[in-house]
Amino acid sequence: MLVAAASCPAPPLLDRPLTGTDPVLPQLRQACLAAVAALVASEPAVIAVVGVAGQRLIWDPALRLDRGAFAPALAGRAGSGDGLPVPLGLAGLLLDQAAYGGRRQLQSVTQDDSAAECAALGARIAAQHERVALLVMADGSARRTLKAPGYLDERSAPFDAQIETAIRAGDLAALLQLDASLARELLASGRPAWQVLAGAAHGLRADCEIGYCDDPFGVWYLVASVRCSALS
Amino acid sequence: MTDGAGTGPGAVRAQGVLRLGAHAFPPGRPVIMGIVNRTPDSFFRPGLTWDESAAMERVQAVIAEGADIVDIGGVPAAPGAQVDAAEEIRRTAGFIAAVRAAHPEVVISVDTWRHETGRAACEAGADLLNDSWGGHDPRLAEVAAEFGAGLVCAHVGRQQPRTRPFRVWYPDVMADVLAQTLRLADAAVRAGVDPASIVIDPAHDFGKNTWHSLEVTRRLAEMTATGWPVLVSLSNKDFVGETLDVPLEERLPGTLAATAVSAWHGARIFRVHQVRESRQVVDMVAAIRGDRPPARAVRGLA
Repeated sequence: MLVAAASCPAPPLLDRPLTGTDPVLPQLRQACLAAVAALVASEPAVIAVVGVAGQRLIWDPALRLDRGAFAPALAGRAGSGDGLPVPLGLAGLLLDQAAYGGRRQLQSVTQDDSAAECAALGARIAAQHERVALLVMADGSARRTLKAPGYLDERSAPFDAQIETAIRAGDLAALLQLDASLARELLASGRPAWQVLAGAAHGLRADCEIGYCDDPFGVWYLVASVRCSALS
Repeated sequence: MTDGAGTGPGAVRAQGVLRLGAHAFPPGRPVIMGIVNRTPDSFFRPGLTWDESAAMERVQAVIAEGADIVDIGGVPAAPGAQVDAAEEIRRTAGFIAAVRAAHPEVVISVDTWRHETGRAACEAGADLLNDSWGGHDPRLAEVAAEFGAGLVCAHVGRQQPRTRPFRVWYPDVMADVLAQTLRLADAAVRAGVDPASIVIDPAHDFGKNTWHSLEVTRRLAEMTATGWPVLVSLSNKDFVGETLDVPLEERLPGTLAATAVSAWHGARIFRVHQVRESRQVVDMVAAIRGDRPPARAVRGLA
């Protein structure tokens, strides 16, 4: 059963050294770390991590982010190409920073996975132990402003608001309604990961707390903590 | 200087921490030395800081623009009106004491070849003796040792102080630069100067024609490979002017180009007139080398 979940964004700049001397968004990193610390505090038998990548795979938890792929000078070498996908690698960093020494399960999903496939995967992940915690690494639209990586698309604000409303209300099932093709057009890569969360929390009461919700670079970042319990 | 892989020909010795005054500069941290002349007749902007209050304003300005060291000189490099030791001390020592009082933390260098001036400067608070005439007065190293000051060991070929090169030639100018600067550095160590405070300088334009100065710039990596920290003094010099055929006031771009190449080759101290521009160039090159992170990187990472 799912006991707790956290949702964190997955921009590379979450990895502190990548922004250079300026920490740029310390409050975002702090919020992510607090959300992951809450997961660890829920005493799970396993923390499952879900993030979007090119393939649907289970990854070796001994792997880490390939920092050299972004900043060769920091790694002392070019990217090796054999690190984790960025969302899973960043999740690994957060778990390391939270000093989590327990079992990790790293799962990637793809932009092609349907809402039903994601929900079914979430249900399987939640059913594998009595106490499962889930860390979803998910981003909203990257087209929220003129300066955004994907330029401005007016549909971004309502799309992201749909996610925020669902999570604030603890109505995670509503995430299954997200339009996959619109998400793709908005570069909102988190859609499948959020739908895994919806599947994992199916039939449970979800109390959600928002730790960060902003778009400082035109990409929508959400940090949320979810406590799950049986419906009374 | 730290021990490197070996000492044979071609061996590359690692750069170590550079100690000057209260500061320890790690390898990869470019150090800017701002020039403050207490002369009425130096070649660049003559008389600019002849007046003491103008000189103190200049010190404040170069520190604000990013200088780590101020280099105070009382005698121009070029030939001209005689300046004896007493007059040189009169121009520099009192001013050094005033700078030390106003800026307890800044590294103070004195540009002199005379041990009498070096002694007066150290007594006034100088941290570094910039011996730009290449060991003309061997007792300067003894003064550095006595006061725990650093020493710049420069190559001038066979030039006497305040003379211009006349038909100078070298079978191999860089070999001569290495031989002279390393000999001076070894002599400084034997005199008791802290090896972590000894710097070598090819001394562009000094005892060199423009071809020679370009050659030592091109081959500067041979100096940095010795492990000694390398100082370069390129600012607005004749080799820049002759290379680009530009007058004094148009030498900044050429100076910065030579600065960038020297920084790329691993030079650590840059003696400059234009501090702000030089600071940006050496910081940029340090980031390209991978010695320094960008100030703020967000592009493509959000």
